[in-house]
Amino acid sequence: MIQAMLWGVGTSDYGLQPERRVEALAWTAVGEAVADAGIAVDEIDAIIVGSVFGPPGVATRVQRGIGLPGVPMWTIENACASGTSAYHEAVQTVRGGRYRCVLVLGVDQMSTLFSGAIVPEATDPEGAASLPLPGVYAMGAQRYVQEFGVTPEQLAAVAVKNKRNGLDNPRAQLRKAAPTIDEVLSSRMIADPLTFLQCCPTSDGAGALIVGGDRGNPDDLRIEASVSVSGALWDHRSKEVWGYACVARAAEQAYAEAGRTPAEMDVLEVHDAFTIGEIMTLEALGLAPLGKGAELAPSGHTARDGAQPVNPSGGLLSRGHPLGGTGPAQIAEIAWQLRGRAGARQITRHRVGMVETMGGAAAGMDGNACVVTILSTS
Amino acid sequence: MAADAPSSELGVGRPTKRRPGSAVGGLPVADSRPVLDGDAVLGLRCTVCRYPVAQTGIPWCPSCYGPLEPARFDTGGTAFSSTVARIPVGTRKAPFALAYLDLDDGPRVLVHLAEPEVVPLGARLRITGMDEGDLLAEVAS
Repeated sequence: MIQAMLWGVGTSDYGLQPERRVEALAWTAVGEAVADAGIAVDEIDAIIVGSVFGPPGVATRVQRGIGLPGVPMWTIENACASGTSAYHEAVQTVRGGRYRCVLVLGVDQMSTLFSGAIVPEATDPEGAASLPLPGVYAMGAQRYVQEFGVTPEQLAAVAVKNKRNGLDNPRAQLRKAAPTIDEVLSSRMIADPLTFLQCCPTSDGAGALIVGGDRGNPDDLRIEASVSVSGALWDHRSKEVWGYACVARAAEQAYAEAGRTPAEMDVLEVHDAFTIGEIMTLEALGLAPLGKGAELAPSGHTARDGAQPVNPSGGLLSRGHPLGGTGPAQIAEIAWQLRGRAGARQITRHRVGMVETMGGAAAGMDGNACVVTILSTS
Repeated sequence: MAADAPSSELGVGRPTKRRPGSAVGGLPVADSRPVLDGDAVLGLRCTVCRYPVAQTGIPWCPSCYGPLEPARFDTGGTAFSSTVARIPVGTRKAPFALAYLDLDDGPRVLVHLAEPEVVPLGARLRITGMDEGDLLAEVAS
């Protein structure tokens, strides 16, 4: 198998940008990624795009501005994991020798679709029953509160940590001031127990990645593992909250593929669409036992100067969450961190990094898809 | 359509990839929600492993791939979790409460609760009717 490497990363700014063309967000990201990889544009021999809301045909409209006539190109929709799913497919094609240099693009513009929370999908049994996405996570949080005694302050600590981290991220959506625990808890309730500041903002943005083989460039990052799993039934037999099993399934395979343990992860970017998401995810990734994930932020373990920094970029809670655009932004942050070029956000130990992206939430399934990847300095 | 429905804000009048449904000003779509028929929730059960599901039209048991037969599920069960939505969703005005209800010897279904309150894990609930096509449950006395 060919060793897949991350050659370059690039992103647009993240935030409300309804005045920008969706292609323009993508062009900014692609331009930066190509320059970062140090390649000629025509070295790219395939394009894989991750996007949820497109619009349909967005990949071709992006292509119109960058050339590459006739190269194989396709678009993947895996809910919030669309961008990382596109990345995973790029890794697989490079590993198998199908392509030598793949452009991955994740893009979504939410501000021209929704004025607040995503409108639930009317064709879904639970979407039709008016279950909003914050409600999906709130039901999980409610179990953590009642079953494990997780406190509102522990939930809020995740938002405080990530929003503080985001202050140093010039591309994050929320950069004005980091809230206190009290401010997080006194912001308006969205779905008990999740308050407004525990929910990621609606955002627009794009991220691009260049994935290729091992070209002996010390700046390239080794892709030790890349795993994509689809959902499984989530039903009356499921004792864990929605999403947990899907993330755990991907994580178990990723650790096996890389031959590594959770303790070896120096830095992580994970799917904190809501505060409970980071807590539950870190348990599923093996950083804490079930029911103990809520202690990681208050204890400082996941702080930027902690033992295992989580979401040093500010995460979705700070950067914003333009679905397809999220995964590549997570991977870009890990790339900047591992190369030691994260500026004011730079963490001290940065040899191995992990990215996890979780997509949902179709009724009756524990996830639409989850992607977990492990990267290291080469 | 209620005056406060956010249809005018959806894509600012432009068609979107998402089907929002008629509740928020889109075109109507086929209803996929579970149905209450008198004293039972309608669905399917696997003839091999007895897996229950509150859906119709699926080709085989999604758990063991065995053949399915129509089933009626008891309306009582226990709460897996619940929450109170404090934002309007579709035609629903805030606050409204939702719960995952594990029906006795039946599937997990999403229900609306009669009172806008979180219920304890494992609370006994019973489906008492339907409200705008949604299953409606109350805490069993």
